[in-house]
Amino acid sequence: MKTESSAAYIARLTITLLLITAVVAAGLACVNAVTAPEIEALNAQKTQNAVEAVLPGGGEEIAFTDDSGIVSTIYKGQSGYAVEVTPAGFNGTVTMMVGVDTSGKVLGISVVSHTETAGLGAEAAADNTAGNAFRSQFAGMSGSVSVSKDGGQVDALTGATITSRAVCTGVNAALNAVAKLG
Amino acid sequence: MDFKKQFKEGLLTKNPVLVQLLGMCSTLAITTSLFNGIGMGLAVTAILICSNVLISALRNFIPSQIRIAAYITIIAGFVTIVDLLLQAFIPALSESLGVFIPLIVVNCIVLGRAEAFASKNSVAASAVDGLCQGIGYTVALIVVCVIRELLGKGTFGGGILNGGEGIRLIPSQFPAMQMVMPVGGFLVLGFVIAGSQKLMKHLEMKNKKKEAAK
Repeated sequence: MKTESSAAYIARLTITLLLITAVVAAGLACVNAVTAPEIEALNAQKTQNAVEAVLPGGGEEIAFTDDSGIVSTIYKGQSGYAVEVTPAGFNGTVTMMVGVDTSGKVLGISVVSHTETAGLGAEAAADNTAGNAFRSQFAGMSGSVSVSKDGGQVDALTGATITSRAVCTGVNAALNAVAKLG
Repeated sequence: MDFKKQFKEGLLTKNPVLVQLLGMCSTLAITTSLFNGIGMGLAVTAILICSNVLISALRNFIPSQIRIAAYITIIAGFVTIVDLLLQAFIPALSESLGVFIPLIVVNCIVLGRAEAFASKNSVAASAVDGLCQGIGYTVALIVVCVIRELLGKGTFGGGILNGGEGIRLIPSQFPAMQMVMPVGGFLVLGFVIAGSQKLMKHLEMKNKKKEAAK
């Protein structure tokens, strides 16, 4: 039996842990090789769907300037623009698509991905009565939007004021970015 | 190996949530609809079985000084695999549970079972232990989910039944929203734990009476 402080024993500990991490890493690499293309395709499809949901006919990516720091992409279509914005939600970033027509009115919004609380903030993205009612109220709004608690015209999701505010922030950033395009 | 005993322990007398009080974070956070409860329960069960089996198989290979680091590496590996698979093949569940899937890494149930059971028992017994503890966790989650969803939203089966809306049992103006908020989680979990203790006491008394009658 070697003592616990002997060099050989320390080397054994190190090599054992190294082996375990190497095997786990190799396993992850294999799984990732299978799932990465699937996940990428799903995400691309989701972005595509989101663009088409808020901008009939879809659109092409264009260059833009942004000083809010949360506008990531703008797509230009026939009836207006689809703006991808990433406001900070309750738990993390809410990635959403905002359709804006050429006169600066919101065509519609669609949430691409988020990490909001299940059952509360997550309703903003859910395909159910509460989620659809929340998202559809943005259509036709212009200028600056905010939740009714802050004196605005948007009814916040029950129990998810922070998420609702984040969505408003995203919509405002999208409206401003489109206004700048002229 | 005693399947019946392990099953009873996992479900009731050593239930990971109700008796060992492990994995409280996910229990309180995601139990707002039946879909979440079942999904989270199954994900944790799958990870528990895999990690228990592997850790049990390696129990003579891993020196005890580095066992925690080794266990966490193995658990994190399985959690990441489940996370990637869910993202790729069941995106709806992955979106609904969000950050709580990666957080299974730090769910004490998984590490707890590795340390308390898998590191001392055979591979087969560890697999059964993972399954039984996972079922216990899932059942506890489902009970809390059903109560919170009913009181907080007035529905049953949210996320699965009736096109994801759930079946409405209480008209929408009555449910107390607080019950799906954190405070409701603590309240309901407390009552469920109290109820399960009462049930266990009751069963124990019954067994004693039976033995006395003999």
